[in-house]
Amino acid sequence: MSTPHDTELAASAEADGFDEVIHAPVRLRICAALDQVREIEFGGLLGLLDISKSALSKHISVLADAGYVAQRRAVRDTRQRVWLHLTDTGRAAYRGHVAALRRIVGDGS
Amino acid sequence: METNERISPDEAAAALAEARRSQARVAWSGYPWWYWVATGAGMGAASFAIEQHGWLGYAIPLAVAATLIFVARAACRARGVCTGWVHGPMTARDGALLYGPASLLIIASAAGSRFASWPPAVGAVLVFLVFVVTGLAQGARAARS
Repeated sequence: MSTPHDTELAASAEADGFDEVIHAPVRLRICAALDQVREIEFGGLLGLLDISKSALSKHISVLADAGYVAQRRAVRDTRQRVWLHLTDTGRAAYRGHVAALRRIVGDGS
Repeated sequence: METNERISPDEAAAALAEARRSQARVAWSGYPWWYWVATGAGMGAASFAIEQHGWLGYAIPLAVAATLIFVARAACRARGVCTGWVHGPMTARDGALLYGPASLLIIASAAGSRFASWPPAVGAVLVFLVFVVTGLAQGARAARS
């Protein structure tokens, strides 16, 4: 069931592909990193982005609420790890956002 | 150029640059040092194997391929990044930068040992060094960016 918050976030993706949820700098970096791989472990993403754990958790929550990022829990070396990946919706939204940015810059490639 | 009331072209260009930096980090940084050393050693061994005749010429590449698959999987687990088998995080340009010089050296070494008295072991060592230095240097550069 979608919440008013979800509806608000989903509405932020304009028809031109520009997406307010993804455009926040850290979230853009998260999506750029996830777009190239199948999944990244939370700790691995933390190291790649060089931000605090709480900041990353907050941005992941926003992306997950929008349906852009999904999480999977797995145990390795007796510790539970969280693996993150872009959903199909998230991948399409990220690529649409990048295309929109390129149009704004004037680079059609 | 399209206008957008929310952000300027400069801001859009900065956002695109940020996304590219993030992609470069995923492509290059976070690998354990042994990944570069083991993969470089594998490429060096492949260079050496090209010059071998008989069963060694088949056995070495097979052993190298199996070892490199194992090493790649272990490195993925160590850095917490899981890539697909077909599409990795590196762009075609990244791939050319990493594998291009070592591949050219393998070809040059094979030609050198065929047409001149160039020992295959020297080529193998050069391939190893070039690959490891390229990987470590690019990894450090991406981590700094």
